[in-house]
Amino acid sequence: MLKSAVSGLSRIANTLAIAMNALGTLVVLGLVVILNVDVIARGAFSAPIKGTYEMVQFSVVLIVFLQLADVVRVDRLTRSDGFLNVIHNRKPGLAANMRRIINAVSCIFMGLIAYITFPEVLHMWNTQDYFGVPGLFTLPWWPVKLVITLGTSLACLIFAIKVITAQDRPELVRTPEHDETST
Amino acid sequence: MTPIEIGLISVIAIVFLIYSGVYIPVALGVVSFISIWLMRDNFTLALNLLKVAVGDSAMEYTFATIPLFTFMGLIVSKAGLGRDIYEVMTMRFRKVKGGIGMGTVGANAVFAAVTGSSIASASVFTKVSVPQMLAQKYNPRFAVGVVAGSSVLGMIIPPSAMLIIYSFVAEQSVGDMFLAGVIPGVMLAFAYVIAIWFMGRFTPGFVGGRVVDDSEWMSKREVASKTLPTLLLITLVLGGIYTGWMTAVEAGAAGALLALIIAVVRKSMTPKAFWDALLETGHITAAILFLITAASIYSRMLGLAGLPNQLEDMLVGNQANFWTIMLLYVLLMLFLGTLLDTASIILIVVPLFLPLAEALDMSLIWFGIITVVGAEIGLLTPPLGISCFVIKSTIDDDRISLKDVFMGALPFAFVMLIVLFILIEFPILSLALV
Repeated sequence: MLKSAVSGLSRIANTLAIAMNALGTLVVLGLVVILNVDVIARGAFSAPIKGTYEMVQFSVVLIVFLQLADVVRVDRLTRSDGFLNVIHNRKPGLAANMRRIINAVSCIFMGLIAYITFPEVLHMWNTQDYFGVPGLFTLPWWPVKLVITLGTSLACLIFAIKVITAQDRPELVRTPEHDETST
Repeated sequence: MTPIEIGLISVIAIVFLIYSGVYIPVALGVVSFISIWLMRDNFTLALNLLKVAVGDSAMEYTFATIPLFTFMGLIVSKAGLGRDIYEVMTMRFRKVKGGIGMGTVGANAVFAAVTGSSIASASVFTKVSVPQMLAQKYNPRFAVGVVAGSSVLGMIIPPSAMLIIYSFVAEQSVGDMFLAGVIPGVMLAFAYVIAIWFMGRFTPGFVGGRVVDDSEWMSKREVASKTLPTLLLITLVLGGIYTGWMTAVEAGAAGALLALIIAVVRKSMTPKAFWDALLETGHITAAILFLITAASIYSRMLGLAGLPNQLEDMLVGNQANFWTIMLLYVLLMLFLGTLLDTASIILIVVPLFLPLAEALDMSLIWFGIITVVGAEIGLLTPPLGISCFVIKSTIDDDRISLKDVFMGALPFAFVMLIVLFILIEFPILSLALV
């Protein structure tokens, strides 16, 4: 019963992470497009696009926090697990427990960030505060803050599921984008 | 406990946690959070610092260079530009003992100017260069060693993700850092070529291989079609930055677009490969920038603890001379390099040493080149040389063990160390173009 609940939850979390990841990927593409249009417009027609600078700043934050949960899902958050792999070969049980503890700490850390950034989302939503130079170009703050909170909450959830299911396999190099079969 | 003691304990705790396998951003973030809380005895303050760091530190215009150059590098690798350069280069060096090795170094140096990552270089050249060297009876250790050693060029010759990260920590311009990386990178490539020549001359057993007589020369047209796309990219990106016509961010975007156009024209890009490149770009960017975010909490913590100033007082106060300090610095990076990746080393070490470098009137641009080269040596040294792991997992050949890769890379790590000392002694090498 509990098991199927967890696996259901895990499926939902993974789907969400992949969806956010796809969205973040589109932001990368958008970044390439907008900067090129700006360079060409500026170079050829001396008419730079207004607000490129602000949009670039925004998109960097969007890319990071839209992708974060998926990075956690495929276990590509930067770590150095040479030592864990050595332990894994000698005492698999100990290594598995260490991984659980590490995931639990990471879960708490992500949760903490989500918890402290959430009030900001509400605040920005209520005040409709904006970013940029008034009259020239402005962007509302709340979407960025919302993405930060959502991304870290989802990362927190995925870490929690990893603690429960203890699915975390050691590998030397991870490039999951290239496995056709990765689930 | 005084703040300095807490700060010192946290640095040690962070290194310990990272070594035991905790995600690096989590280790940096959690330990820094707790030590700020303890130092100020104020939980709310620690929470607020965390909030500010997360919200603000990723929001940086120059960070857009990371996804852009990563994307450009991935597209360029998938378009097969690395293989082309390799073919042209090895043709030139064919008649010399160890010639393919030299060609690989040369090709890597050129390829490095269009990618920002050693990982990309290592995996591309393992595929094109190692099988060919083995076919010509080169010593397998030499073959993988050359690829490992020269893959490091990817992160020194601009555009380089590591130079971007350093420029954020030290508040230097990305464009300046890129220009500063050119001469040291080219120098390292030449040092490798000379080292290979010496190895071929004095330790032929280690190199192995036979000289090929039946060399076919490519037609001029073929050479042009294989080199022009890469040269065009290099001119656009570095030229754009050097002339000041584009910022580093814009150069990255323009480079990514041009790489994409080249790939499409050469029909080497499927929609699937394109999407994969975008996905991987996203993953790499998020991993690096989240690490930087966590590191900014860490450097705030160090600042609160006053640790960097303490270090400065200690070393400057004791009349420690320039070389003592630099040796200490290099040793520290080599030690961390045994297990950490380059980005983490830069983010952990630089905030500690920055005030010291400033107090001694060192050029921070030069200091950055020293840092990046020093930290890169770790890519080649056991037990966790990332470049060596990539090569091992790309080769997929049981006759070559991870140990062979490390043994083969060792002479190249040594050459790097010598070049590093030359760079320390002659700052002009890093600063001439800036």
